[in-house]
Amino acid sequence: MNKEIFSEIPMRTWNWLGVNEAVVDKDLLVESQNLDIKIEADHQEKMLVEYRKESYGIVNINIGENASLKLTQLQLMPQDCDHVNEINVVLEKKARLQLVAVETGAKSFASKVNIILKGDKSQADVSLLYFGDGDRSLDMNYVLEFQGRKTVGNLEVYGGLMGESQKIFRGTLDFKQGSKQAKGYEKENVVVLSSGVRNRSVPIMLSGEDDVVGNHAVSSGKINEDKLHYLMSRGLSPAEARKLVLEAAFNPVLELIDDEALRQEIDSYIKERLENE
Amino acid sequence: MAQEKTYIEDIERTLYDIKNVDKSKYKSQSGLTEDIIRDISARKNDPDWMLEFRLKSLEVYNQLSLPNWGPDLSELNMDEIVTYVQPDAKMTGSWDEVPEDIKETFDRLGIPEAEQTSLAGVGAQYDSEVVYHSIQEDLVKQGVIYTDMETALHEHEEIVRDHFMKLVPPKDHKFAALHGAVWSGGSFVYVPEGVHVEIPLQSYFRLNAAGAGQFEHTLIIVEKNASLHFIEGCSAPKYNVTNLHAGCVELFVNDGARLRYSTIENWSRNMMNLNTKRAVVGKDGVIEWVSGSFGSHVSMLYPCSVLKGENAKCEFTGVTFASKGQNLDTGASVIHCAPHTSANISTRTISKAGGKATYRSAVKVTKNAPYAKCSVNCESLMLDDISRSDTLPTMDIEGDEADIGHEATIGRISDEAIFYLMSRGVSEDEARSMIVRGFVEPIAKELPLEYAVEMNNLVNIELEGTMG
Repeated sequence: MNKEIFSEIPMRTWNWLGVNEAVVDKDLLVESQNLDIKIEADHQEKMLVEYRKESYGIVNINIGENASLKLTQLQLMPQDCDHVNEINVVLEKKARLQLVAVETGAKSFASKVNIILKGDKSQADVSLLYFGDGDRSLDMNYVLEFQGRKTVGNLEVYGGLMGESQKIFRGTLDFKQGSKQAKGYEKENVVVLSSGVRNRSVPIMLSGEDDVVGNHAVSSGKINEDKLHYLMSRGLSPAEARKLVLEAAFNPVLELIDDEALRQEIDSYIKERLENE
Repeated sequence: MAQEKTYIEDIERTLYDIKNVDKSKYKSQSGLTEDIIRDISARKNDPDWMLEFRLKSLEVYNQLSLPNWGPDLSELNMDEIVTYVQPDAKMTGSWDEVPEDIKETFDRLGIPEAEQTSLAGVGAQYDSEVVYHSIQEDLVKQGVIYTDMETALHEHEEIVRDHFMKLVPPKDHKFAALHGAVWSGGSFVYVPEGVHVEIPLQSYFRLNAAGAGQFEHTLIIVEKNASLHFIEGCSAPKYNVTNLHAGCVELFVNDGARLRYSTIENWSRNMMNLNTKRAVVGKDGVIEWVSGSFGSHVSMLYPCSVLKGENAKCEFTGVTFASKGQNLDTGASVIHCAPHTSANISTRTISKAGGKATYRSAVKVTKNAPYAKCSVNCESLMLDDISRSDTLPTMDIEGDEADIGHEATIGRISDEAIFYLMSRGVSEDEARSMIVRGFVEPIAKELPLEYAVEMNNLVNIELEGTMG
């Protein structure tokens, strides 16, 4: 079989659920495009990574003491491509990461993000938007590892699924022993628009330290009918109404994208998908 | 300034750790072979189909691997486990006929006393065989059957054959296969249509022999619009060798029926508790699980509810307390197979003194279950920084009409809560005590009365110094 394990959850569970690992075509992993970034101490940087053609992208980042990085990663691959991407980040003392990730393209994709909050008082704020339609397959594995004291990690995920798309999102908050007074928060809100969807969520929390606060929450449900009816009563078509509701749901991530043109592109992309459904 | 931690004592185990001299009438050889299984089957005078079932299960056992997830089970050596220990006692309906040492054991555990005050029937298993079974006469007149599995196998063979390991087939996992091969003892309950068993039935499983396994099978059928509360208790004294518990519980809750299945598991700290429990629920039926896991060295226990009929419901309430030397991997799973099914899973875990508590769950909503609703809530309390607490839920939802929510929290007793209570005039120790009691209260209030004492042991806390 020409498949290979691309990513695994930090702690395995029942095999029948099919969430323990992401398996991808070996061919996708043959040649990677690596981007190694070092943010020097006390520096502030912004970066944009875009995936628009078939590739295996790896971004390795070290954020120095008291430095910060805003990383925006957009995956806008054509619908007939498969794709894998990977982000690995280590944060030093008081370093700050803001990661804005959008996964709306590709026929089938797998992504993994591994963030290590190594330095005391380091912080990572991760906002992810994913959207699946047609028969697309979405596989995401995000891990926030708390090593330093008073570290903070927030993982907010907003998703929309329609058609016969299949999605797995694994989000792990891993509090290592010694990560005293760390705080971790994870939230995933999924709006499901079609009956053919398969939606799998694995919100994991691991702790070897008592002096931490960890919370996670997942909600999955169909689009609010009352909102739809209200908007349709104001003259919007069903597609327009759904688009508007979904846009509002995605707004917490979209508004973090600095480039107006890119924001419009994502917006248009989702609108087009909704209309074609 | 050095700060002290909050100390919460382990459950008082003296009561459970009293060992009887091993007076077993017969013990199989240790290990697992076809000869041993044939021997067990012959001693039980199994029908031919059951012997065949056992042998097929052995084949499956030999084919399957240990799970590649969950706690490490490598220390379990089946070659050292004695799978069948026949006590020197016959099954009876009178405590006076139970051998004195065995009766004293159950006396200490409060079983005969509970039978007098709050139970409609009792089953008591000692090692591999049930030694006592009783049921109130009025229930018998209503057609309720409550007996040991061996008697049921002979007196109600067709019912048993139609249901035995149909919910938990031997191929399910390696220890289900092991159970199919060597099962012995357990309880059989049949509640006819429309009959409400108002007072609970209780089966208690005691494993006394060192290095032995207990493989009791519990089969409960609650017919349409009937109801039952069944209580299961289990314990064993501690030995320096590994004991194994691989029981199996199969619950058939038919249309409109209701079953509450309560368990307090308090195995000794040398026990590998690899138990499988599953319920199937018909239209408008309700399964309620109340599960307390306090004992054992290693546990893997995840009661599963298959909501097969429209509007079927599941309520799961569980508490797990993992202390020194314990790795308790517990949780629940729910499979929604019909429209308008609903489930509510609520658990609390506590870990201390190097104990490891894992909450693991699965919620599966199939395409055939529009308008399914499920709410999962898991709260974990860690009492020191040498313990572990892990939460691993999975949701697998097909379709667009399901409404699923999951919430989990992890942390320790908050300083703010302590300070607030102290500001209201409560002493520091009492404040901590109140918080821990409050933490397990949602579970404690669901426990049967006779287990309230046991739960009180859990919250019998000893507090010293200030918060760490």
